[in-house]
Amino acid sequence: MDRRSFISLTLVSGTTAALTGGCAVPQTSLIRFVPAEDIQPGQASWRPGVCTLCPAGCGLTVRVMDADADVVRDGITGVQRILAAKKLEGGVDHPVNRGRLCARGQAGVQATYHPDRITQPLKRSGDRGTGQYVAISWDEAMATFVRHLDAIDRRAHPPALAWFGRPDRGHRGTFIAHLLSRLGGVGPIGVDLFGDAVLRRANAMSFGRSQLPTVDLAAARHVLSLGADFLGAWNSPVAQSRGYGAMRTGRRGVRGAFVQVEARMTQTGANADEWVPVHPGTEGALALGLAHVVLQTGAFAADTAGRAGECVAGWADGLPDWTPEAVAAITGLAPGRIDRLARALIDGVPSVVLIGGPPLAHSNGLHAALAVNALNALLGAIEQPGGIYFTPQADVSAMSGLDAGDVAVAPAMSQFVAERLSAGSRPPALLVVDDSNPVFTAPPAWRLREALLRLPTIVSVGSFLDETSSLADLILPDHSYLESWVDAVPESGARTAVISLAPPVVRPLHDTRSTVDLLLEASANLAAPISWPWATHEALLAAALGTLPPSVTAGDTWTEVQERGGWWGELPAAVAQAAAATATPAPTAFTAPTFEGTPGEYPLHFLPYASTFLDGGLAHLPWLQEMPDPLTSAMWSSWLEINPATAAALGIADGDVIRVTSAHGVIEAAALLSPGIAPSIVAMPAGQGHTAFTRYASHRGANPLGILAPVTDPATGALAWAATRVRVERIGDPDGRLILFAGGTREHGDDDRPPHR
Amino acid sequence: MTPARPPSHEQMTADLLRPLLRTTWRFFLLAAVCTAPVLAGLVAWATQAYYGFGVTGLGWPVYWGFYITSFVFWIGISHAGTLISAILRLVDAGWRRPVTRCAEAITAFSLIIGAMFPLIHLGRPWLAFWLAPYPSERMLWPNFRSPLVWDFFAINTYLTGSLLFLALPMIPDFATVRDNSTGVRRRIYGVLALGWRGSSAQWHRLETAMAIMAIAIVPVAVSVHTIVSFDFSMAPVPMWQSTIFGPYFVAGAIFSGIAGLIIAMALLRRFLHLEAYLLPLHFDNLGRLLLVMSLLWAYFVFNERLVTYYGNEPSDMAVFWRTQRLSFAPLYWTMVTCNFLVPLVLLGVRRFRTISGCVTASVAVVVGMWLERFLIIVPSLGHKFLPYSHGSYRPTPIEIVIAFSTFAAMALLYVLFTKLVPIISIWEMKAGATADTVRS
Amino acid sequence: MTPPLVTTSVQEEDTTEMPKWGMAVDLDACTGCGACVTACHAENNISTVGAEQAARGRAKHWIRVERYWEGSFPDVRLRFQPVMCQQCDSAPCEPVCPTYASHHTEDGLNAQVYNRCIGTRYCANACPYNTRFFDFFNPAWDKPLHLQLNPDVSLREVGVMEKCTFCVQRIRAGTIAAKADARELKDGDITTACVQTCPAHALVFGDLSDPDSRVSQMARAARGTALLGDLGTQPNVTYLQRQTP
Ligand SMILES: Nc1nc2c(c(=O)[nH]1)N[C@H]1C(S)=C(S)[C@@H](COP(=O)(O)OP(=O)(O)OC[C@H]3O[C@@H](n4cnc5c(=O)[nH]c(N)nc54)[C@H](O)[C@@H]3O)O[C@H]1N2
Ligand code: SF4
Ligand code: SF4
Ligand code: SF4
Ligand code: SF4
Ligand code: SF4
Repeated sequence: MDRRSFISLTLVSGTTAALTGGCAVPQTSLIRFVPAEDIQPGQASWRPGVCTLCPAGCGLTVRVMDADADVVRDGITGVQRILAAKKLEGGVDHPVNRGRLCARGQAGVQATYHPDRITQPLKRSGDRGTGQYVAISWDEAMATFVRHLDAIDRRAHPPALAWFGRPDRGHRGTFIAHLLSRLGGVGPIGVDLFGDAVLRRANAMSFGRSQLPTVDLAAARHVLSLGADFLGAWNSPVAQSRGYGAMRTGRRGVRGAFVQVEARMTQTGANADEWVPVHPGTEGALALGLAHVVLQTGAFAADTAGRAGECVAGWADGLPDWTPEAVAAITGLAPGRIDRLARALIDGVPSVVLIGGPPLAHSNGLHAALAVNALNALLGAIEQPGGIYFTPQADVSAMSGLDAGDVAVAPAMSQFVAERLSAGSRPPALLVVDDSNPVFTAPPAWRLREALLRLPTIVSVGSFLDETSSLADLILPDHSYLESWVDAVPESGARTAVISLAPPVVRPLHDTRSTVDLLLEASANLAAPISWPWATHEALLAAALGTLPPSVTAGDTWTEVQERGGWWGELPAAVAQAAAATATPAPTAFTAPTFEGTPGEYPLHFLPYASTFLDGGLAHLPWLQEMPDPLTSAMWSSWLEINPATAAALGIADGDVIRVTSAHGVIEAAALLSPGIAPSIVAMPAGQGHTAFTRYASHRGANPLGILAPVTDPATGALAWAATRVRVERIGDPDGRLILFAGGTREHGDDDRPPHR
Repeated sequence: MTPARPPSHEQMTADLLRPLLRTTWRFFLLAAVCTAPVLAGLVAWATQAYYGFGVTGLGWPVYWGFYITSFVFWIGISHAGTLISAILRLVDAGWRRPVTRCAEAITAFSLIIGAMFPLIHLGRPWLAFWLAPYPSERMLWPNFRSPLVWDFFAINTYLTGSLLFLALPMIPDFATVRDNSTGVRRRIYGVLALGWRGSSAQWHRLETAMAIMAIAIVPVAVSVHTIVSFDFSMAPVPMWQSTIFGPYFVAGAIFSGIAGLIIAMALLRRFLHLEAYLLPLHFDNLGRLLLVMSLLWAYFVFNERLVTYYGNEPSDMAVFWRTQRLSFAPLYWTMVTCNFLVPLVLLGVRRFRTISGCVTASVAVVVGMWLERFLIIVPSLGHKFLPYSHGSYRPTPIEIVIAFSTFAAMALLYVLFTKLVPIISIWEMKAGATADTVRS
Repeated sequence: MTPPLVTTSVQEEDTTEMPKWGMAVDLDACTGCGACVTACHAENNISTVGAEQAARGRAKHWIRVERYWEGSFPDVRLRFQPVMCQQCDSAPCEPVCPTYASHHTEDGLNAQVYNRCIGTRYCANACPYNTRFFDFFNPAWDKPLHLQLNPDVSLREVGVMEKCTFCVQRIRAGTIAAKADARELKDGDITTACVQTCPAHALVFGDLSDPDSRVSQMARAARGTALLGDLGTQPNVTYLQRQTP
């Protein structure tokens, strides 16, 4: 070879290599800097979204910009320029949150970009529960899933298919319910420890509305809350916080007053003008006592409470037995204080009473809720400014062109466990777990994990391996809520009907699939196919929203909804849910709360409470882990709140390691002395203590739910999570497990406690 | 106790040059023992530079700890020498002669060590040159309002002055070494002696230079620790914003400096067999001086505390009680014992003011003064105005190793120095002996 | 008003009055929810440090919600107080900084120039509010969490000090956008991440040099106080005290 041909050969081969190696893979070559159509480099744009981290259904505005990601796109792996979600902001004119988000909502973007997300379909390769999986293709995954569905007997009784999911009143949840009924399955069974089934039941009884109230805080002059953490974790926190701010500072010359009744100070209670600790489970008695005084003053007549009053035993007679003295003996409050609290309600009209959280999680929770409903009705606080409203609810089935009557009411989790998962029962052949973690939140006596280990087949569609999904045989990961069509139908938070809805904000980062699309496709591929009016999730939503008129423009609803991030306005009668006109239920009387465990053996009440992570499903987000808890400033840990007097009696100092024992289990935690808790109670945030839930949440703190007694509310089957008694003992010196951000707890004074470092 | 007869000039030359001219295995052992911790310190520092400041025990809100403590401590120790020897020279105290050089060496070494700490303590030490005013093409200058920049100038000035002050009187002694040695050593010391022949013009120039330096160095030394005190008193931190910090720091510096000097002299006397030169008289005199400084220090501390207590400002009082009777009280009362009670007893009672008494008191003072700096920094930073942001500090092994290694570095520099330079000024000793003879 | 530090011909040409950015915190509305804390992390590329480092005091919260207990059970109350950099007019963190990494801008901000910071941590000592946070290690994000990073905010490296900037990137972007459209900035055009998300509307941001802006009105309110005002730092954050019935 002469020099000339060597050079030409080099040139030719080099160019060929460059062309084939570089240009053939545009994403990995120079050309990737020429962005895709929807990306303007360096230019931010904002797209609507829906927050699905809690049932409140807030609207999002997501800031998106280009970013370089090491991803698989169109079958090609490598660094590619994608559009990424940068910042979640509130949907500006969304009626629930009006541009605002709670801490959880802000942190939600980390769920999409979480390093431990499941990136592709997985098949179990090791024993159940070992968390060993191998990646499979979507074709294989789909075929396996269809085979499982084909194998179930649609006429079996009890049903062969069951579905666990977080409560979802939107189109996704409704579609799944319809699919299950067509497959002869049961569900979706709601996994929501701190769910408000009891309050919904009470509202259905009192007002014919099986939903949570929308509180018009902004117009209220006096608010009395029995345990409801409405600024923290209960119901629609952003809507309520907006209302609260307006109530306090939004009106010239009027500052709404706020009293909180609870045995352990919540973040909400910390804002009260007056904080009133009562004996646990006696809130219903207090409500009756307040009603007694209101009725005594003659300011309101008993019958103004209408049906809500009829639900409460003794109401028509003016509750003669519920004098302040009698109530004082039960609640532990001074009679004069009860009288004063009641008169403040009268003087403060428009006044409103809220109930939520622990009072409803006792054996007598339903009565307490009914008593509060009657009291509100007496005060004229129903559907009036400054009172409570019931957000008009869309009939999602009707919107989707389906008949709500086709869907059987799903049992409560406790009932399902008793009937289908206990020893000797006939378990379902196939269980689908949808982004929910009942194994983590179930009381140990249910032996849920053991029961699931025995099931023939479990399929998960969740995005993360957790205590429950790690038991699955097949994992079909869904997109994140920023990557898929998403909708939510808030049951409260606005006075108009709201459907939050948004198209995918960004393209899926991983090889995931929309669960609704997956189910639609599976329906078609079944040996006995199930037909639906639409082929995709998008088409489903388009058809459903097509039943609604445009709310602002005269244009096309579907286009408008996608741009605004939802629909809100007056519902056409055809798709509005009417109030249920059932017969008036029998009056309910106060009963003393029952607790599991004898006071002798277990001297203290045990109160788990919803933390920043709610019941634990958000513990995987590092921003939330590192956010100091509002009351304790704790980060990355869990703790047991204990009154200093109780601690002193037990020889416990701040930070000491203690053991909490119930009749159902033992946990260890660090003690945190708090003046905001009654001496008879110890409290612990839920959410930590995961054994398998991403690198950030696993093996961190303790799970208070792991020692709960399986006490349930008889009417709804909801777990009475505040009904456990425990024993507490000191087992060691502070060992660094409690991580606090803050030092001093008092602004003035000689607080010089050593930091727990 | 005083030797019957002072050593003759020949004896002096022989005694004082012996460490330079004779090297035994003991020297190597000592050097190795001192070098090991220094190497450990360097490894610790490299670890910190590589991994980040997270390897220390610092954290929000206590961002200064062992390093700044060590910085202030060593800059304080540096006041031993130059300042003391300058004052003694100015008042022409005859007993100073065997003491001055070893004092001045302390100054030079502790300044070098102290000046390392601002670098060790930087988050990004590789950018330390930004502290210096250099002609940057971006016209960026350091912030001349910052006490840290004043430190930069003050310490550099003091270091330059002290090195000169140390070096000038070494010239005649280098000539002596030159004249008493052969070979390479003769040539090296020949260079160092700068052509010294002992002519009267040379003597005259040396005396003049020494006089000028002695006068100049005193205000510089005083200013250095005043400026170091500004690092604290210029920041609105409880118990830092005190008008007394300038003199308080200077007094503390001289106090710890004298203690350091006494310890160094005792070690030299022992190891280099200088019993004939470093006399009980010297320890007695320095002991008295230490006692005076102890009383002065105690007065400043009492004054500072009294004024704080009387002012009763809540955030100041919070820190006050932290040191007086809460978490830092054990350290605080150890400090008071070391800096006041021990010197008072050992130096105030004439019977105890022996060499070992002086040395014991000095060790106590060194410990106490190190604690004093720690107690100025950490309790205040951990307890500023908003109680939510209160916090504490616990050093990590890295910081402990680095802080400890500087004591070894001091010893090492001293060991090497005594090997290279007569630790007692030969010509001054001779001049002193001649003067004594003339007088008698 | 204090005169600008430097007067250049460029400035003399510029007849528009400099804004003076400020914030108001209504303690009567703040619920202690912590949304502002997370919003600030999301906006400003503040890395989480993890449990082990958090335990050693390395967590970085440019805004924190302080809580103070008052009284004891059962007559106990709690107070929340969000604290971020107060953007002091007479900022103690500025004169002590040897490199001008902490310095004052013409629109009244205390700017923190990360690239110029050498990590003496002196400014943090001098800041009476303890709102400055040091990067003890190189900030890191477990991939792909880094995809969320805000490209408008520079990443910090080990050994530098960081703190609330009043979301300066938003101030600059808003100012530039207004200038490009040749319009005046309106009250509310620019908002910081914490203010934007605060569900209770406890936080308000705006231009204090505009007497009609909401923040100005709040700064003049009878309930308005400066945090540690007696220290003479002249903060640009006003706290409206909580009312008692
Ligand atoms: N695409 C593209 N990339 C480039 C370049 C390019 O031309 N095109 N140029 C390169 C060059 S030469 C350079 S120098 C770099 C510059 O890159 P960067 O240093 O990142 O520069 P900027 O984006 O101008 O500013 C950084 C951030 O500082 C914020 N900021 C403004 N004022 C202040 C303040 O007072 N304090 C604080 N803390 N923050 C402030 C801004 O809002 C912005 O978020 O980019 C490089 N990268
Ligand atoms: S309240 Fe619920 S839906 Fe709204 S932002 Fe918070 S987590 Fe999301
Ligand atoms: S609050 Fe602190 S960091 Fe902010 S300007 Fe004031 S002194 Fe500086
Ligand atoms: S840490 Fe940085 S900003 Fe603070 S004083 Fe030092 S150089 Fe300046
Ligand atoms: S103004 Fe911006 S930087 Fe400052 S605390 Fe709020 S969000 Fe964080
Ligand atoms: S977001 Fe608003 S209400 Fe919530 S803690 Fe921050 S300032 Fe308070």
